[in-house]
Amino acid sequence: MTRVSILDGNTFLVSDERGDIEPSFDFPTGLFSFDTRFVSAWILTLDGQRLQPLSVDDSQSYATRFFLVPGEPTHYVDAKVSVIRSRAIGGSFGEELTLINHSEQEKEFSLRIDIGADFADVFEIKHQRPKKGRTTPSVAANELRLVYRRENLHRETVISTSAPADIDEGGMTFRIRVGPHGEWATRLQVSTVIYGARGEDIRSTLPLGGHRTAAAIHAEQNDLIERAPKLGCDCQPLAGAYRRSLNDLAALRYESIALGVRLLAAGLPWFMTLFGRDSIFTSLQVLPFLPGLVPPTILMLAGLQGSRLDDFRDEEPGKILHELRYGETAGFEEQPHSPYYGSADSTTLFVILLDEYERWTGDATLVRQLEHETRAALNWIDTYGDLLGTGYVWYMTRNPETGLPNQCWKDSWDSVSYADGRLPGFPRATCELQGYAYDAKLRGARLARTFWNDPAYADRLEREAAELKERFNRDFWIPDKEYYAMALDPEGRHVDALSSNIGHLLWSGIVDESRAAAVAGHLLGPRLFSGWGVRTLADDQGRYNPIGYHVGTVWPFDNSFIAWGLMKYGFREEAGRICDGMLAASRYFDGRLPEAFAGYERTLTDYPVQYPTACSPQAWSSGTPLLLLRVMLGLEPQGEHLIIDPALPEGIGRVEVLDIPGRWGRVDALGRSRGPHDHSH
Amino acid sequence: MGQATEEFFAALPKRAPAVLRGPAGGTLQVDLTAGNRTEHWYLELAPGSVRVSREQRLADATFTVGADLFEELAEGRESALAAVFRNEATLSGNVLLFLLFRRFFPDPPGTRDPREVAREVAREQAGQPG
Repeated sequence: MTRVSILDGNTFLVSDERGDIEPSFDFPTGLFSFDTRFVSAWILTLDGQRLQPLSVDDSQSYATRFFLVPGEPTHYVDAKVSVIRSRAIGGSFGEELTLINHSEQEKEFSLRIDIGADFADVFEIKHQRPKKGRTTPSVAANELRLVYRRENLHRETVISTSAPADIDEGGMTFRIRVGPHGEWATRLQVSTVIYGARGEDIRSTLPLGGHRTAAAIHAEQNDLIERAPKLGCDCQPLAGAYRRSLNDLAALRYESIALGVRLLAAGLPWFMTLFGRDSIFTSLQVLPFLPGLVPPTILMLAGLQGSRLDDFRDEEPGKILHELRYGETAGFEEQPHSPYYGSADSTTLFVILLDEYERWTGDATLVRQLEHETRAALNWIDTYGDLLGTGYVWYMTRNPETGLPNQCWKDSWDSVSYADGRLPGFPRATCELQGYAYDAKLRGARLARTFWNDPAYADRLEREAAELKERFNRDFWIPDKEYYAMALDPEGRHVDALSSNIGHLLWSGIVDESRAAAVAGHLLGPRLFSGWGVRTLADDQGRYNPIGYHVGTVWPFDNSFIAWGLMKYGFREEAGRICDGMLAASRYFDGRLPEAFAGYERTLTDYPVQYPTACSPQAWSSGTPLLLLRVMLGLEPQGEHLIIDPALPEGIGRVEVLDIPGRWGRVDALGRSRGPHDHSH
Repeated sequence: MGQATEEFFAALPKRAPAVLRGPAGGTLQVDLTAGNRTEHWYLELAPGSVRVSREQRLADATFTVGADLFEELAEGRESALAAVFRNEATLSGNVLLFLLFRRFFPDPPGTRDPREVAREVAREQAGQPG
């Protein structure tokens, strides 16, 4: 079924192509805000009949219009009446219903909207749990109020209508009389209320109010997009993907309840909240284009840094969070997301992001302000991060019921395997975690030397990084297979699957120069490269499945960092092939790269097959075209300057990015592909 | 007022140098409710120090919670943010100050060092055949 979604931050609405919402447990349809479903039924009927869509205008992220007629769809529609549902979201949700009588007589109609709210937490939808609290409907003159209570938790959905209606506990009925060629309209307004301090909406006592108009959203998003560099290019897919990415990134920002700033939510519909890893990777991708999105993320992650040992939340001092949820299951501790710290990479990635941010922006104030948090993160690597005391970062959840077994970006249960498909025991040390730790130490050393006036600490970090690199190249390299093991098992043996994880090692710089060509060869070789991109797992491995979440699909975000890694080691042509494959794939998704698509050979399907339940838009997929641009143009800050060293894939033509912001002010980057298939202009 | 709460506030000034190491600071009102009575604590957080008084004053942020629940927070048995999310505790104003304050809450009683636990698990696996 086609689903239509609109969103503003972490408030979003998913309906079918008629605009209806029917109670569903397999896919989160409904109106959601702060991880809670405030509307689970929203069904329009005209004289007892469901309506059919003629067309849907969904060109805006926060507004949609549905043109509907009664009756079953046939190729010959001769409706005497039509209904337009025009809706927008901005903290609350508004829908204007317009009925048009196309006949020459005055007519009576009975238009009804069925309304229901189950107040399900996103996790209750995933796992189909019954509600523990009670919902009570109440009817007033022009509104229907649905009240949910569980102990002190108190949430309400209030639906009001501008035109008179017969309101009952299950919806509203409009008995109307419309003249020949006449029109009737009403405005339905749906408010979501989360009660907090002093019996007020929790959002009203905190810096940012929850409600804004569609016009305000439009202005604010446009402003953000206006400030981004301008892209001029011959390559239509690239232009389309860039525009789409900026729009989606603007829409995915949500209001932090704490800072009065907008943070990036990870992905629609399952991940509309703050994730440490996702927000850091996305920040790294967007830095050259939208640096203003980054400081709020860094500050929020620092503010919520782990401070104690808590087994339920996998929390440790210095650790950066994995996932923060505001819903009922987090509150009542049925899920650990208040916040949950089950991530073995967000802590090192945090240090990497802070350093990269300063390299681009020159914002030394933030680096000084966060000295303590950054030191605590670096300290975590060799203390709680090194569970086995072997000099590597390991993970093992202390919450077997609701914690995550795999705490790396491939966090599904079967993502880490031996080549023959067996699963290793715990704890596990995946290879890319060691790469991030290496990079974090080197970057931490730069921060210590340049901003914290602590050269002794910088020396120590550099020495530790060098030792880690040497140790890693000895312990993870599989000589007869010529690649790095995906992980070490608890006994220190190779978990020997060939996986995309080795691409992140290039990005981190932990790969010995002498081995980089072999790694690049595997990444672009037939076992990993599908023609569109690098598969998460090579196609001859025991667990390979082209539509397995982390065991064969192609992830655009993963590919963008692999391309960056290839660039760092000078494999520009190889990086270009990944950029080219990704941009070609993006055309099939209207410029919006999904979370993941299937790992089938490009020659087999000719188009990229979307992973069945992929999130879209997904922040780090939206960030992908931006990072690919950086890679193609060879953008790298060096001191006060921006190095521009373009190497564009053949056939892409001219690419120019104007007004790239940074410590240099604003500069332009220009590139042109050169090859037998490029026109000379 | 519970003993853990009393000890918790009494220990804050001594613990501050280790906990409040960044440049952030500000004032936090902690209101503990019991029936229709409210106990007020006023904290002035600064780099490396906390000043604690039993006052009710205008603060940058306010944290309101039942005295019984706070006793459990002070013992590490409960999580402050989870309590906020289920509306058993409420926050207003600048939440960053509360996030700073949160760092004073101790580990849940009986929590073991995760490294010790992981090494035990690894040893057990190594002992298994296969």
